[in-house]
Amino acid sequence: MSFSVTEPNKGTKWFAGVLVVGYALITIAPLLWIIATGFKSPADSIAYPPKVVFEPSLEGYVNLFTERTRATPDMLEAQGEPKNWYEQIARDQGTVISGPSRYGERFLNSVIIGFGSTALCMILGTAAAYAFSRFRVPLKDDLLFFILSTRMMPPIAVAIPIFLMFRNLGLNDTHLGMILLYTGVNLSLSVWLLKGFIDEIPIEYEEAALIDGYTRFQAFYKVVLPQAATGIASTAIFCLIFAWNEYAFAVLLTSGTAQTAPPFIPTIIGVGGKDWPAVAAGATIFLVPVMVFTILLRKHLLRGITFGAVRK
Amino acid sequence: MNDFINGLFRLRRGPWEMVASVLIALGVIMLMQPVAITLYTYSFIITLTGTVMFIVVSHFPE
Amino acid sequence: MNNIPIEKIAKATPDSVARHIRGLSDRSIAWIFVAPTIFLLLAINIFPLIWTVWLSFTNSRVNRPNRAVEWVGLRNYERILTDSDIWHTMQATAHFLIWTIVLQVLIGFMLAFLINKKFRGNDLWTTIIVFPMMLSPAVVGNFWTFLYQPQIGLFNYVIAFFSGADSASFSMIGDVDLAPWAIIIADTWMWTPFVMLICLAGLRSIPNSIYEAAECDRASKWRQFWTITIPMVLPFLMLAVLFRGIENFKMFDLVVQLTGGGPGNTTTLTSIDLKREAFEKWRTGYSSAYAVILFVTVFGLASIYVKALNKVKER
Repeated sequence: MSFSVTEPNKGTKWFAGVLVVGYALITIAPLLWIIATGFKSPADSIAYPPKVVFEPSLEGYVNLFTERTRATPDMLEAQGEPKNWYEQIARDQGTVISGPSRYGERFLNSVIIGFGSTALCMILGTAAAYAFSRFRVPLKDDLLFFILSTRMMPPIAVAIPIFLMFRNLGLNDTHLGMILLYTGVNLSLSVWLLKGFIDEIPIEYEEAALIDGYTRFQAFYKVVLPQAATGIASTAIFCLIFAWNEYAFAVLLTSGTAQTAPPFIPTIIGVGGKDWPAVAAGATIFLVPVMVFTILLRKHLLRGITFGAVRK
Repeated sequence: MNDFINGLFRLRRGPWEMVASVLIALGVIMLMQPVAITLYTYSFIITLTGTVMFIVVSHFPE
Repeated sequence: MNNIPIEKIAKATPDSVARHIRGLSDRSIAWIFVAPTIFLLLAINIFPLIWTVWLSFTNSRVNRPNRAVEWVGLRNYERILTDSDIWHTMQATAHFLIWTIVLQVLIGFMLAFLINKKFRGNDLWTTIIVFPMMLSPAVVGNFWTFLYQPQIGLFNYVIAFFSGADSASFSMIGDVDLAPWAIIIADTWMWTPFVMLICLAGLRSIPNSIYEAAECDRASKWRQFWTITIPMVLPFLMLAVLFRGIENFKMFDLVVQLTGGGPGNTTTLTSIDLKREAFEKWRTGYSSAYAVILFVTVFGLASIYVKALNKVKER
């Protein structure tokens, strides 16, 4: 058996483990609370003391996706039998479903803008990163710094001229405008991250390909792209998460047609007072995909948050 | 310390970047300190000087 | 003749000949690849930036398009930099900035140090701890208002449970003294994992051989910690502090959802104040000057950040 002085002993490990698990449980509690609240009835959600054990209910989800109006018992009677389970849930609250809510639309906007900007960002970013990695671009360091600094800018400060520009171009509250904007913001991250990934691919592969008679373009998409596939995928997820989560630009530049979910979720209110289960349901549907992506990304998280500087 | 002063005279990147960084940090502290509003008033010009200086001196040789 | 490596022949081939063989020259390919990115960044970032600087010297108000825009020189800057309300906003930002950084560095480093003990299942728990920082700050902020509700909120209930106070007796968001701490707690919950991940990378970059050598010299664990661990992790810590500093200097989404800047102006951070000036009072020229001041500050900090980044990269 090998013995190492730097290997912590069993007691230390156990102690460290307990503390970390304790912290993890505290930190995950608010998230679990969000998810749980989504399945509570409105009365349970504001009960005192807070209810840990409760009867699950889909009221939150039904309220999230529908618009309802309050109805008197006579009116409910006149409506006849509820046609399906979610109408039943609405009836039980003394309300009638008057139509779908705008949450679905807003969620779809988030999907369109998120994926649209990510795709555009990856196309531009991969090309630029390849050029920065392989060619002698004049003023390379300055350009790279300039690209990074664009990401650091306070969104509210940038939003003033963008608002004016979009208004003149008719891009305010459009999907195209938001896609272009998020692409602009995310490009810095994608260029820096991808440059790191491409730097790691040995240049010999391409040289061999060039000698075999490939053109630069062929070498790029037949040799470099497949090699960088993991890097491109994880960079794409980072860009997607950013566009998905973004709030400041969305709240200032969109109001209706192109509004994404983050500015919408806080505005959800129920019939009389804040409908916390509906808000929690909206948040859950919105946050869970990000958690799944986080699990997929876990090996590359560090790179993502340091613009590719820390490689572990 | 001697190297530092030498570097300044010979227009080397390292020490000058250090000077610029200190100016920027000073400007930021002046911007947010709760002591005197005069310091706050002059913080921006200090930060601006530091930032412009940083851009210029980062082109000096190593 | 046959001994010359084929790469050398390829390199020795004159560009003009190579171009016939390979298509476009490297130089033009480089430009074709970089140009779209640069173009988009110019359109989305630089052009607006120049516009902001121009606006900052005028008295423009975009909600009154018929009013003539006049050149006012440095007057906007003069007014902002002598305004004690904005100065107080900066102090509120500083309070938020300093405490979030202190708490996140302490907790984050401690966690990283413990995780680095490599107990079983540390990967799983690391991933769980990381969740908060990947979520949408606005949605998280909105939900924390629920946790902070007097009486029914989970946070208030837990605090009351451990302190014995009545959970309806305090309101984290409504109280002038507590609100600044409400945003600090939420931000710390969200971003401690960020500092932790970077510290963990720093700890893992220290080669074991250094500790083994110290062990041979009979240096105590305590001494090893201060003379090896801390100095080796410091550049990474710098990186984390600078990045969190920049991010929290421009903090908007989390806080605006959590407290909306209130009560009073206690949690009005610079970005929230700027948003009011620009998009509620529509003082475009004035707020552009405000924006330029924030720009320059962030740009300065970003240059230091990139320097720190390169330092870490060399490791």
